[in-house]
Amino acid sequence: MRHEKTPLPMIAVHSLTGCAGELLVILENLDKLLPYVQVVSFPFAQSKNEMRPVDIAFVEGSVSQTHDLEKLQQIRNNCRWLVAVGNCAVWGCVQAGCAKTSPQEMLKAAYGQDINFDALPATAIDKYVPVDVKLSGCPINATQFLSVTASLLKDHLPYITKKPVCLECKLRENGCVLIEKDLPCLGPVTAGGCGALCPTFGAACYGCWGPSEDPQMEAMSVILEEKGYAMDEVLGRLSAFGAPKELFSRSSNFQNRKSE
Amino acid sequence: MTDEEKIIEIPEICRVEGHSAVKVNIQDNQVIDVALDVFEGTRFFEQLVVNHHYEEIPHITSRVCAICSTGHVVAAAFAIENILNIQVSEQTHLLRELMHLGMIIESHATHIYALALPDFIGAVDLLDFAGNHVKEFTAWTQLRKLGAAIQTTIGGRPFHPINLHVGGLSSIPTAEALSQLLIELKQNEANAFNTCELLSGFIPKTKASATPNYLALLPEASGYGFFGSTIISSAGWQDSIQNYQEYLTEVSVPYSHAKRSTSKGQPIMVGAMSRLHHFSKRLTPAAKQFYESSPLSKGDTNTIWNNLAQAIEIVEAIERSKNIIEKLLTEPSELGRDCHIRRTEGKAGKAVGAVECPRGTLYHYYEIDEAGKIQKADMITPSAQNSHRIEADIREVVNSSISGDEANIQSNLETLVRAYDPCNTCATHMVSVHYKQV
Ligand code: SF4
Ligand code: SF4
Repeated sequence: MRHEKTPLPMIAVHSLTGCAGELLVILENLDKLLPYVQVVSFPFAQSKNEMRPVDIAFVEGSVSQTHDLEKLQQIRNNCRWLVAVGNCAVWGCVQAGCAKTSPQEMLKAAYGQDINFDALPATAIDKYVPVDVKLSGCPINATQFLSVTASLLKDHLPYITKKPVCLECKLRENGCVLIEKDLPCLGPVTAGGCGALCPTFGAACYGCWGPSEDPQMEAMSVILEEKGYAMDEVLGRLSAFGAPKELFSRSSNFQNRKSE
Repeated sequence: MTDEEKIIEIPEICRVEGHSAVKVNIQDNQVIDVALDVFEGTRFFEQLVVNHHYEEIPHITSRVCAICSTGHVVAAAFAIENILNIQVSEQTHLLRELMHLGMIIESHATHIYALALPDFIGAVDLLDFAGNHVKEFTAWTQLRKLGAAIQTTIGGRPFHPINLHVGGLSSIPTAEALSQLLIELKQNEANAFNTCELLSGFIPKTKASATPNYLALLPEASGYGFFGSTIISSAGWQDSIQNYQEYLTEVSVPYSHAKRSTSKGQPIMVGAMSRLHHFSKRLTPAAKQFYESSPLSKGDTNTIWNNLAQAIEIVEAIERSKNIIEKLLTEPSELGRDCHIRRTEGKAGKAVGAVECPRGTLYHYYEIDEAGKIQKADMITPSAQNSHRIEADIREVVNSSISGDEANIQSNLETLVRAYDPCNTCATHMVSVHYKQV
């Protein structure tokens, strides 16, 4: 039993640029956390929010404008553990992966010449501040979220699997949609954590958890090309959820194919 | 007070899909200016999807908004299927509708209970709400879970569905899973009825606003519904959604990241109140009963009733979901059978798809080339359509309560803005009034 007078560890839940999905997942699981933590800031769910030192700060969303960056720096200065929650914060997600031109060019195309909004290229938050734990997923998995939080509350950095989706898919004894149905399944290069949701439903993994550990992008692109998918489409698919560009440039072979 | 300039600011209303602020400029007790500034980081979805294959589009556009992700997925699928001339099976169509109803239930419940209700019952925030208004909090939790359960059964997870694709579903739920939903739907009827009763008892703090131009999709079948291809206006016209550019004009404003739409120069209102205004006669009996005893049926256009309209739609969505499941379970169908989604190639074209999302009509427009790649995209969200009208409403509310005290203006404004947007940050007290000598 916790002693009455022991103050509960403090947490904060912040949002930068994203779809608010992670906030929903955290909100839905808040009842499980509330006995163990004090929520200092969670503007999505409560009215009294303070920017003050906390034990854990969860950050959702990518850095996409100066406003995000200022907020992120304040958050970092005010927390012990910084957890990037969700694919936007960890990889940049679709706004980073699908962007082909600079934000300035996109602004011009969206609003016309004379609009002068501020926009930064959407990026993962670790481009700007040190991040202690990265929790991929679009949206995150509630079990992973709770176990990471439990670990940190015990002062222990959690282990998060980055083994490919294929592993979870095999454990579920699914038929392989890549081999058997020729669907463009990105399971081999995508981090597991979702329990191989898409293949279990008979669909191709589209990479919403971000890259797995040591993803073999070149091999993946070769297979997809052999299955009849055009190389530019393959690259588009591989990068859509924010896989960093460096992952594509390790092999000259791959580079050559790209420029063909 | 004559030389005083008053600026009312809501520094952060939160998501229209993200972050926004309201500024009202008052001089000599007159509202000079109202600006709804959506300062959400721009994400350029219309450009992000360009050059991606049409199969990827629902998964990408889903990420515009978690709360309405199902709506974005379905609207995108409709648009692309229109281009490719794909006819999905009736079973697929019904399952998509069921999934969409799950989103309506979940989103409306969250909006009503987490946003609007704390205003009316005086709860400070969600945590206070959970601890001190247990009955209402439980009703919210149960309705939210019901919406999430429907979406998980059909779509694979509570939002950002993985099972909905252009051309159909990748797998069909089993009869057992659907029967389980039926049980949960029936268990939640009382919650939905109680929600209507609770909201009917509210007394609006400000007077009714001018009658808006209500726009909504004409439901495709004879009932009340959220899918369709014709838009109907209370200004007395209707048109195909394919001509949306003729009746909706989208403009950028210098103070906001969100574009805004007008219809033939007029502000418009979309969402639950609009839908009920046009189609209340099509409601199922239970929902109709609540409508008929509501101020809405007497032509009261006070925006504050949008929350009651949402409660009535929850009742309707539960009834309609039950009907769909019963139909799927009794009529010979391919339930449980795997289905295959195949590419349709070599057909270029352009088309629109639209759905009624919780907050109003959502349009997706695409042009694709022969390789199936997106060449151009246009998405018009309900919030973009409502923002002009929100500004007009704010002007009215401030003008009507201008002689009252600041706290009064503030709380009236907060209530009003929350009536429009299911945004949890709105639940916080964010309006501030500044006085400035000029
Ligand atoms: S279906 Fe996809 S995730 Fe499963 S084994 Fe095949 S490639 Fe891997
Ligand atoms: S299988 Fe892939 S796309 Fe599907 S939920 Fe998992 S990581 Fe996301």
